[in-house]
This record gives sequence, C-alpha cells and structure tokens, in this order.
Amino acid sequence: MRSALNNAREYPVKPLIRRAVLFTALWWILAEGNFVAWGVGLVSIMLALATSLILLPPGPSRLSLTGLAGFLGYFLVQSLKGGVQVALMALRPRLDLRPAVVDIPLRLPEGRARVLLAITLNLLPGTLSAGLESRHLRMHVLDERSPVETEVRKTETHIARMLGLPLEAR
Amino acid sequence: MDILDLLSVVLLIVGAAFFLAGTMGLLRFPDVYTRLHALAKADNLGLGFTVLGLALQAPGVAAGLKLVLVWLLALAASATLSYLIARRAFAKGIVPWKPEEREP
Repeated sequence: MRSALNNAREYPVKPLIRRAVLFTALWWILAEGNFVAWGVGLVSIMLALATSLILLPPGPSRLSLTGLAGFLGYFLVQSLKGGVQVALMALRPRLDLRPAVVDIPLRLPEGRARVLLAITLNLLPGTLSAGLESRHLRMHVLDERSPVETEVRKTETHIARMLGLPLEAR
Repeated sequence: MDILDLLSVVLLIVGAAFFLAGTMGLLRFPDVYTRLHALAKADNLGLGFTVLGLALQAPGVAAGLKLVLVWLLALAASATLSYLIARRAFAKGIVPWKPEEREP
C-alpha cells in the first residue's frame, strides 16, 4: 500500500527531473559554458520542458542507459561502415550497383520506435527506408546480395532494448 | 605545428574526402534512391570527421560538445529527409533503377 502510494507520487516526477537535467545540459552546451545568459536559459529550459511533455508525455516505456550505449556503439560502427561502403562505390571507376526493393515485416510495436528504426536504417550500410506500411517496412537496398534482413533485425533488437519495448515474435 | 593541429588537419581532410565521395555519388548514381544512399551516408561521415577535427581546436568542452550537437542535428535531419524523399518518390511511382541483364 505504502509503496504503491510512493510509486504513484514518484511516477511523473522522475521523468520530469531527468528531462530538466537534459535540457539544462543542452543549454550549458549552447551557451558554451557561459553563465551570463542563464536568465534566458531558465526560460528556454522551462519552455523546452513544457514542449517535451506535450509532444512526448512520459509513458510506460523508459530509456535504458545501457541500451542507449549499446545502440550508440552499434550505430557508430555501422554508420561508419555504411559511409565508407557507399563512398567507395561512388568513387569506383565502374559502378557496381545491384539495387532492389524489399519489404521487411516489423517486430517493433507501432509508433516512434518504428520511425526511429526507419530513420536509423538510412545511415546504416546499403539500406534506405521508403515507407512504413501497417506491418512492413519498405526498403531500397543498394546491393541485393547483402544480408539486409539480418541488419534490420539487429537494429530492431538494439532499439527495443534501448526503449524498453518488447519485440513481437514472428 | 603540434600533434593536435596535425590530427585536426588529417580529420578535416578525411571529412572533405567523404563530402567529395558523397557528391560523386550524387552525380554518378543512376536514380533518386541510389543518390539518397550516397548523400545521407557519405555526408554524415563528412560532417562527422569535420566536426571532430574542429572540436579538437575548440576553446572549451562546451564549445566542443556544441559542435557534436550540430553533427547530431544534421544527422537526424538528413536521415529523416532522405526517408521522406524516398517515400514520396515511391508514392509517385518512380521505379528504382535496375542494371541491365548482361550475358554471363
């Protein structure tokens, strides 16, 4: 009973504090560590906080920090690979492109997780998202011989872990 | 010229090389989809390396992080835009380019 009450009271406060800290850090970066402009900063932080609460109300899914680190590491390595690969393709004397369009069934729940997946894939090797259907992601791939589905599955898993979302079995 | 300056120069040159490659892709690739691949992915690294090279010269931690923030925002914008352009192209019925079948 007591813990339930505590939880009920804590629930909206924690995400609020986390976001306030994040926006304060962002302001510190924008002001380049200068403390003169903190009046404007305080107003900006409050406005950012209000906007974020309207656009993205705190929900049941919460960001996992280890998941975020895993996602960022994966993203950095893979996007580096993607950039190098496409740069070499563009500079090669003879173009060797084998594009194809593939539809991949999604396991992430509907909403921002899917959008994040679609957008992330644009920077990963050889994949370009071109449409989110009800349960499928339409993708344009640069090389039909590349293991696209494996890449999507890995990215999907990282996003699910980061956002604390379940993956539907297929 | 100390080691930090040298590292900056190397990173900036690598960044410029990726921008060049992205532009080559834009000019040489056959259709809107393949061009989007080249622009989003190569320019992401071009800006990334440029930002790293500049961050080494930044007057403080906050200024350096600000450059990284610029990179992150540009990254989010280019990834989102290429998705929107590709989706629109498909909706308009633009057929992706295919290599012609060659004799084996």
